[in-house]
Amino acid sequence: MPTGDDRIDLLQGTLDMLILRTLLFGPAHGHAIAHAIERGSQEVLQVEHGSLYPALHRLVRQGLLSAKDGISENNRKARYYSLTAKGRKRLTAENAKWDRLTRAIGLIMQPAEE
Amino acid sequence: MGLWRRREESLDEEIQDYLDRETRENVDAGMSLDEARQAARRKLGPMLRVKEDVRSAWGWSWIEHLWQDLRYGCRSLRQNPGFTTIAVLSIALGVGANCAMFTAADALVLRPLPVPRYNEVLEVGSTTSLRRGVDLASYPDYLSIRDSSRSFRGTAAIAFIPAGFSLRPEALPQLKMAAAVNAGFFDALEVTPTLGRGFSPQEDSVPGRDAVVVLSHDLWAQELAADSSILGRKIHLNGIEFTVIGVAPERFTGVEPFVRTGFYFPIAMYPRISGDARILEARDRRFLRLLGRLNPGARLAQAQAELSSIDANLARVYPETDRDQRLTALTEFQNRVQQDPVDAELVWTLLGLAGAVLCVACANVAGLLTSRAPVRAREMSVRLAIGAGRVRLIRQLLTESALIAVLGGLLGLAVGYAGVLLFRQIQLPTDLVTFAYIGLDRRALLFGLAVASISVFLFGLIPAIRTARSDLAGALKARDAAPAGRSRVWGRSLLVCAQVALALVLLTATMFFYRGVSYSVSHGPGSRIDHLAMMSLAPSQQSYNEAQMQRFYDRLVGQAAQMNGVKAATLASVVPMKNTQNLVAIVPEGFRFPTGEDRAMILCSRVEEHYFDVMGIPIVEGRGFLRTDTPQTPRLAVVNQNLAAHYWPGQDPIGKRFRLDGPSGPWAQVAGVAKNTKYAWIGEKPQDFVFLAERQTPWRPMTLMAESIGDSAGLIAPLREMIRGLDSNMSIFDVRTMEDMYQMRAVRTSNVIVETVASMGLMGLLLALVGLYGLVAYAVNRRTKEFGIRLAIGAKPVSVLSMVLRQGAVLAGCGLIVGIPLSVAAGRLLKAGFTEGDAEFPHLLLLAVALLAVTLAAAYLPARRASRVDPMTALRYE
Repeated sequence: MPTGDDRIDLLQGTLDMLILRTLLFGPAHGHAIAHAIERGSQEVLQVEHGSLYPALHRLVRQGLLSAKDGISENNRKARYYSLTAKGRKRLTAENAKWDRLTRAIGLIMQPAEE
Repeated sequence: MGLWRRREESLDEEIQDYLDRETRENVDAGMSLDEARQAARRKLGPMLRVKEDVRSAWGWSWIEHLWQDLRYGCRSLRQNPGFTTIAVLSIALGVGANCAMFTAADALVLRPLPVPRYNEVLEVGSTTSLRRGVDLASYPDYLSIRDSSRSFRGTAAIAFIPAGFSLRPEALPQLKMAAAVNAGFFDALEVTPTLGRGFSPQEDSVPGRDAVVVLSHDLWAQELAADSSILGRKIHLNGIEFTVIGVAPERFTGVEPFVRTGFYFPIAMYPRISGDARILEARDRRFLRLLGRLNPGARLAQAQAELSSIDANLARVYPETDRDQRLTALTEFQNRVQQDPVDAELVWTLLGLAGAVLCVACANVAGLLTSRAPVRAREMSVRLAIGAGRVRLIRQLLTESALIAVLGGLLGLAVGYAGVLLFRQIQLPTDLVTFAYIGLDRRALLFGLAVASISVFLFGLIPAIRTARSDLAGALKARDAAPAGRSRVWGRSLLVCAQVALALVLLTATMFFYRGVSYSVSHGPGSRIDHLAMMSLAPSQQSYNEAQMQRFYDRLVGQAAQMNGVKAATLASVVPMKNTQNLVAIVPEGFRFPTGEDRAMILCSRVEEHYFDVMGIPIVEGRGFLRTDTPQTPRLAVVNQNLAAHYWPGQDPIGKRFRLDGPSGPWAQVAGVAKNTKYAWIGEKPQDFVFLAERQTPWRPMTLMAESIGDSAGLIAPLREMIRGLDSNMSIFDVRTMEDMYQMRAVRTSNVIVETVASMGLMGLLLALVGLYGLVAYAVNRRTKEFGIRLAIGAKPVSVLSMVLRQGAVLAGCGLIVGIPLSVAAGRLLKAGFTEGDAEFPHLLLLAVALLAVTLAAAYLPARRASRVDPMTALRYE
C-alpha cells in the first residue's frame, strides 16, 4: 500500500471525471464511490472523502448525476447516485479530453526516441 | 422552509451513512469501535466544513447569507431606534422630494404619448425658423407624405378646434375641444376604441359628408354617464348633427397633455366645423400635427432621408408654397423638449434640486453611519478575527443600509404622495385646457424605487468599506484607529454649515411668502369677488359680423340686468384672477423708451360701461366709459393709477394720449384713472393696466358678469336659459361664480406655493439637524476615551457637556453667519418681486435664534452622552 510521498493529490476537476467514470458501472452511494476511486487507483490517488460530497451535490445540480434515496443491501436507507444521459455524454467528452492531455504531456515528458 | 429542512436532514443522513459504513469496515478490519469511529471521522475530514461545502454546492448559500444578513440587520436597527429613525427619515425626505418632483416633471415634459410602443411614433412636419421643434403641416402636404413615405406603418394627423357641443339641437351648447383626425389616426397610434370602432377610410374621403364622431372616454363618462348604448346616438357639434360611432379607451387621454379633447371627428368634416371651406385645399394652410409610426426595424435616419426626398420633390412641384419648407422627423420626446424649452428647463431644475436634496440626505446618513464606525469597530474586528471575510462584512453592512433605504423609500413614497396631493390643488378655471395628470403612477413608483436603491450605494458603500476595513489588532485593543484625515471632517463640517445656512434661507423665504400671501389674501384683490356669476361666450363661429355682435352683446347685457335677482350686469374680455390675460401694446405720446424698444406691453381688458360699477372699482379721476362711446367717437381708455404714475408722473393724466398696437397704431385718449387692483394673481405687485371700451374695440369671446342680489350660483341656470333665448347656437364655457374662481386661483394656489416653500424649509431644517447630529455624534464616539479620562481626573460632567455643545454651536453659528446675509438678500428679492407683505428683518433674527436653539438641541443628545461616559468603562478599553 503506497504511503506518504507516493500518494498524489487530485488535480482540480479530475474528481468530477472520476466520479462519473465510477458510476458508469451502475448506481452507487457516496461511501462506495469513495472507495471505488481509492481502490481503482490502487490507492495512489488521495481522495479526502469529505470533498467527495460537495462534488456529488454539484454534479447533481448540473444534471450530470441523479440522486435517489434507496434501501441498501443491509436494509438501510442510503442515497444512491447514478449517471444521467447528460452525465454519460460529459464522461465521453472528458475521456477524449483526458486522452489528448495525457498524450500531449507524455510527448513532452518522454519524447519518442528516434 | 420545509424543503430546506428536508435537504439538511438528508445531508445529515448521508454523512451519517458514510460514517457508519466506514466504521463498520474499520471494525471488520480489526479496530475497536471507538478507534473505528475516530478513523472514520478522520477519513471524512472536518464535518462542519464538508457540510458547508455541500451547502454552497447547492447554490443556495447566497439566499441563506442574505437571510442571515437581513435578520442581523433588523436586529441591529432595532437596537438603535434613534439612529434608525433619523436615517430612515432622511432617506424618506430624499426619496419623497424626488418622487414629488418626478411626478411634476413627468406631467410637464417626461411622460410619453399614451399609446402602445410610443418610441416608434415620430413627430413629422416642417421646420421653420419661426417655431421651435416641428411645425404643423398642410392637408395636401400630409397627403403627399402619407402616399410617398415607406418608413411609416401608419400616419396620424390631428388638428384641434373648440366646438359647441350639445346633446339636443335646442339645448344650449357647451364649448369643448374637438379634434379633426385622419381615418388612420387610431390605427396608426394602435388605439382600439373601447366601444364601437375608429374611422373607415371612406369617412375622410369626401369633405363634409360623413358626420361621425368618436368620443373621448372622459367626455363619455362625464357628460353621457358612460352610457353603453351610446353608439348610433346623435350629438351636435357647432349645430351639425354627428353620429357616435365609438368611444376611445380610458388610457388614451389624447396626444396633447394639456388639451382636454372631447371628440374626434374625420378631417373631411373640418371645413364644415370650422366654416372655412378651403382649408383642406391650400398647401400653405399649415394646421395639422403629424405623427408617424415607424415600420418595425426602421430607423429615424431612414425616415428622415425619405422625408428629405419627398420635400425636395414637393419644392419642385409646388415652388410657391413649399420652397422654404424642410420636412423633418423628430422623436416625440425631442419635439416636446424643443417646443417647450421653458418647461424642459424647469423640469431639469426641479429634478436637479431633488437630486441635490437626495445627495445631502445621503451624505448625512453616510455621516451617521461613519459616526458609528468607531463603535462598531470592535464588533467588526471580532467577526474578522473569527474568520468572516471582509466582503461578507461589507455585504452585511450594505444589507443594513438597504433595510434603511427600503424603509426610507416606503416612507418616501408617502412623502411624495403628500407632494402630489399638494400639486393637485393647482387647477385652472377653464374647460378647454387641463393641467396634465399628476399622480404616483407606475412610472413614479419605479422612479422612487430606483432612487431608493441608488441611495443605498450613495450613503452605504463608503461607510461600509471603512467600517469593515477597521484595523484588526488596534480595534481589538480599543485604541482609536489612526486619526481619520482632518480633511474629511472638514468637508463634513462645511457640509453641515452649508445646510444650516440653506435651512435659514428657506425658512426666511417661507416666512416672507407666508406673510406676503396672507397679507394679499386678507386685503383682497380690490375688486368685487362676492355676488358675481360669470360665463364666457363665443358668439357662434364666425356667423356674426361686428354690428350683429354688438347688437347681441347689447341685448345680452340689457336682458341680464332685467332678470330677477340680478342687480347689474356687464361684459369684460378678461376677468380678474383668470389664468388667461390679454396684452396690448401702447406707445404713450412723448414717452422715451429705452433704446431697442418702441412700445410697452400692458395687461388689458375690453369692458362694457357698467364694468367699474359692477366690479366695485373706483374711478379716482375723470370718468369711466359711457354708452355714447362708440366706434364713431374718439377712442378712449381708462388706465390704472400705476400706469398713470408710470408714464405721466406728477401730471394730470386725463386727456393724455397713447397709440395702440405700436408706433403707427390708432390714438387713444385717457378718459379716467381707475384705482389699482389685482389683475392676474393675488400676490402680484401693483402693475400697469389699461381698460378699453368694448364698444369701440369689439372682441370675442367676452365674459358676462352678473351681480346678484342673493346667491350668485342661483343665477347661472336662468342666465343660461336667457342666452339660449337670444341665440340657441351660442357656446357657453367657463361658467363659475367669482367666489369659486377666487378660491381656486387666489387662495388655493397661494396656499400651494406657501406649503411647497414651507415644506422645503422644513426639509432643509430636518436635514441640517441630522447632519449636525451625525457630525457631533461622530466626534463624541471618537473621543469617548478622552472624555473618560477628563471625567476620571475630575472634570465636571457639565464642562464635558458644554465642550461638546460648543462644537455644535460653532457649526451652527458658522452656518448662521453665512445664512443671515443670504437670507436678507433673499428676503429683499422676495419683497421686491413679490408683494407688499409685512415680514420684516427683525423676524429674521428671531428665526435665526430659533434655528440656533434647535440645532443646539440636536447637538445636546450626543453631548449628554459624552457627559455621562462612565470613566471606568471608557478606560477599561485600554
